[in-house]
Amino acid sequence: MTTRTLRALARAAGTLSLTVGALTVAAGPAAASPQPMGQCTTSAGAVLAVDFSRWGGPVYRSCGTTPTTGYELLNQGGWRTTGTGHDGPAFICRIGYSGYQGGKQFPPPAQDDCVLTPPASAYWSYWHADPGANTWEYSQLSAMLYKPKPGSVDLWIFGGTNVQGTEGRPTLSPDQLRAHNAQPTGGSAPQGSDATKKADPLPPRTDTGPAPEHPASPSPSPSGTSPTASPSPSASPSPSASAATSPSTAPPPGTSPKVVNAAPAADAAHDTGSMTPIAVTAGLVVLIGGAGGYAAMRRRRSE
Amino acid sequence: MPPAAMPRPSAPVARPGSDERRLPRTLHPMAWWVWALALATAVSRTNNPLLLILVLVVLGYVITMRRTEAPWARGFKYYLYLAVSVVAIRVVFRALFATGVTPHDHFLFSLPHIPTPSWYAGIQLGGPVSLEALLSAAVDGLRLACMLCCIGAANTLANPKRALRVLPGALYELGVAVTVSISVAPQLVQSVQRVHRARRLRAGRTKGLRALRGIVVPVLEDALERSLRLAAAMDSRGYGRAGHATKRSRRLTGALLLLGMCGLCSGAYGLLDATAPKPLGLPSMAAGALLCVAGLRLGGRRVTRTSYRPDPWRFEEWAVAGCGVLSAVLLFADVGFNAAELNPSIYPLSWPTLPLVPTAAILLAGAAGFLAPPPLPTQAVRATPSVPAQHSEKATTA
Repeated sequence: MTTRTLRALARAAGTLSLTVGALTVAAGPAAASPQPMGQCTTSAGAVLAVDFSRWGGPVYRSCGTTPTTGYELLNQGGWRTTGTGHDGPAFICRIGYSGYQGGKQFPPPAQDDCVLTPPASAYWSYWHADPGANTWEYSQLSAMLYKPKPGSVDLWIFGGTNVQGTEGRPTLSPDQLRAHNAQPTGGSAPQGSDATKKADPLPPRTDTGPAPEHPASPSPSPSGTSPTASPSPSASPSPSASAATSPSTAPPPGTSPKVVNAAPAADAAHDTGSMTPIAVTAGLVVLIGGAGGYAAMRRRRSE
Repeated sequence: MPPAAMPRPSAPVARPGSDERRLPRTLHPMAWWVWALALATAVSRTNNPLLLILVLVVLGYVITMRRTEAPWARGFKYYLYLAVSVVAIRVVFRALFATGVTPHDHFLFSLPHIPTPSWYAGIQLGGPVSLEALLSAAVDGLRLACMLCCIGAANTLANPKRALRVLPGALYELGVAVTVSISVAPQLVQSVQRVHRARRLRAGRTKGLRALRGIVVPVLEDALERSLRLAAAMDSRGYGRAGHATKRSRRLTGALLLLGMCGLCSGAYGLLDATAPKPLGLPSMAAGALLCVAGLRLGGRRVTRTSYRPDPWRFEEWAVAGCGVLSAVLLFADVGFNAAELNPSIYPLSWPTLPLVPTAAILLAGAAGFLAPPPLPTQAVRATPSVPAQHSEKATTA
């Protein structure tokens, strides 16, 4: 009786798990990896740009292979992010690059403790520019769900935005950041693969969101002003393979920050701390608990 | 504050033990409330599980040392149940509504994932769950649980009826309603027990549906009797009199309070929303508070009250309230410790640290456990005339 019930239960569970497995979108492990900037072209790889000008830093840009997600692009090759305690890692609260101030993440804890969702007046806003487009589009998806198209640019800037979309727009144009070469320049393989950290494959059944509308768009949109169709002959935006942090595009007149290429780097070291504070806390708990228990016992005896 | 309280009708006996040289008395309820609210404020500052656990232990210590035997003083364990369920709900919801797993996380298990359409992609149901996600949910829940336990400690330690006496005079009707409603449940329990005992003495049925009728009717009669007596007693003491308020002064009071509340609302909005114009914040809040105080003062003038056996506010009250406030100030001052230690990182995982100054601040709040005077022993609490005299056994005659 019991064995039969058990067997029936097991069969039901098996069917259920199969159904569930069919329901879930099987997402293949995205083999995203960081690349030197020269590997990104007008039609391959996604450019990541992060603006540290709020803290006196440059605009770093780096390159990653596609398919990838905005989150993976921002967490490889020395880049790391921190989420908030309230929303989890998907809400990008801090961004750090191991090549800038030793991997210190910005905004520092003194400016935002990243416990609750940051205010709309000071947060990392996420912008996309599709291949060929020279206007920024505010991301409608979170970094974990958005999949950059090959040849597109992802930009993170810190500041405030409003609902109308008139405030807090990027000062740099997508053309100042994107790759202009049609062919990869420099070394073919990502250099120093032992030192650089690839994005690990995602855990099983991770939903990486809807697929991009145009998974591979080799032909850029036929906008007249698009400079991406022609490989730009100017030497400025094509860095050499060894260029680690060489300034590329000449800064345009005005207050625009400097654009610097960020080479794939090793992750900043992370210290997990020691367990002594836990032992100290346990000691204090035992001490106070003992005192309270002793007092309660004496009181009960005296009554 | 009068310098000395009137002598108690039943001189409390000093209990043997560590507190034998100190005279037992009840602390002013506001002192406990200030202490507990300050500690809750301090808790709101930190996400460090070690500090939060220390707060819970300190609360437990103070309650063990200084609670009375009154009915409301036995409720702390229910607040602890509530705290545990808060943490559990938070963890379960974090697992169900996945917030995303990063490749660096410690993958624990995977729940069946229900796909959402692309226009609804912001919310995900099910999916992989990481250790980091559960830990951050647990710590977040623990903070709320600690704040709940702080409020629970105040409710356990302070006499709620005495706490209502500090309400401003204009709100005395509200205070009366709350006092009546919080004394209903214990009185009902009391009369049910009495009727039950009387039936048992007469060898009557004490179980079953028919016995229920025999219990409910006398209890209802008892309740009616009590409320009539209460109404008569309140009427003879002048409750419900409109006083000598003119129509104009009543209108003025209403207008002041309404304007003050509007000011408080817009002030809170201005303070919380960073995009709001500057004058909407603190100035509006201050103006609203001023208007409210003026309205309450004016409204309180039509009520003339005297207080019977006022609670004294002496050194112990200052000490208890002060150590609570000091701990909150120390945690918010950011002096002597790194603010990042109050919120240890979960992504990536690291062991929490125990910063010295916040730990000392929380332990300082625990000093209330021996700074407060020892509570009145059980007999003295029962003998105080605030508990109504035993009702006649008339109800049991039914």
